[in-house]
Amino acid sequence: MRFSEAKNHRVMSVNDAATVGKVQRIAVDPTTSTIAGLKLRKTPGEGDSLAWSELSAFGRDAVTIDSADRIVRATGDLRRLLGKDHAVLGKRVLSVGGVDLGTVTDVDFDMGSGAVISVITERHELPGSGIVGLGSYALVVDTARP
Amino acid sequence: MSVLMRATEVIKRPVVTLAGEAVAQVKDIVYEGDGGHVGGFTLAGRGLFAGPLKVALGWESVSALGNDALMIRDEGVFEAPEQVVSRSTARRGDVLGSRVMTDDGTELGTITDVILGVTDVADVIGYEIDSSPALGKDGRRVLIPLPDTLSISGEALMLPSAAKEFVSDDLAGFGAAVQEFRTRLAGGGAT
Repeated sequence: MRFSEAKNHRVMSVNDAATVGKVQRIAVDPTTSTIAGLKLRKTPGEGDSLAWSELSAFGRDAVTIDSADRIVRATGDLRRLLGKDHAVLGKRVLSVGGVDLGTVTDVDFDMGSGAVISVITERHELPGSGIVGLGSYALVVDTARP
Repeated sequence: MSVLMRATEVIKRPVVTLAGEAVAQVKDIVYEGDGGHVGGFTLAGRGLFAGPLKVALGWESVSALGNDALMIRDEGVFEAPEQVVSRSTARRGDVLGSRVMTDDGTELGTITDVILGVTDVADVIGYEIDSSPALGKDGRRVLIPLPDTLSISGEALMLPSAAKEFVSDDLAGFGAAVQEFRTRLAGGGAT
């Protein structure tokens, strides 16, 4: 699934069949090239963050969790990665060789594992396994990495 | 394959860690080895009002110098500015405005930029000059190749007269011109 499709995806809790939020932003962990978690809006409580490990499923039409208690206020790494300055969409992409590869227009990911399959810019489709780093300035990729 | 770039375009290029953070920008290039290659960089903070930083970067700590960014592993590779600047034996880098002469007594023009060929090292491979009438280029800016070694003073630098035949109008193809020029000087290749 693409980030562009996943945005505004409904988040539902399984125990009471209620909508408990909508996906606002998706965070990528550059060390594992996987989705770290989701930032939500329209949540019932103060929490607005959902770690990937807390999901029951990322489905075609909704994200499911067993209970709204899974939604927390993010701390540590997840908080950093969910921050606006680490947002992947619109981020400048640099190769490890210092060449600008465009800005991220979309990301393709595996709904089962959360693995980033590819990062898409205006000019390139780059394998997710090539992600080296993600900072406030750029997403750094190694285009030679298989 | 080497990437060719103008030294003035390296100035202000962002210094970016592999973690994707821009931590500085290039303030100036420090040349070493009699100015024949880049030894490192002095740095400035990022942003309009940022001043010089109290750190510098040795060439061996540069992961890559690309056309859009200078990549480093992390901020741990920074050194004290004295350590980098003390290597400077700059002659070839600090040449903007110098006159270029050939050994047959022709003035080719005045230097406006330094051309770097970047691989694992960043070599000074040529100069951009405002051409003199002798080159027949209507005073346009052109690129001239450098031999491996050359004689230079504060006043002028002296090139073999064959350099005239390997003038390029832009960076595309200039790498090949430098190669051919150096091959010719070494006594090889067809003439």
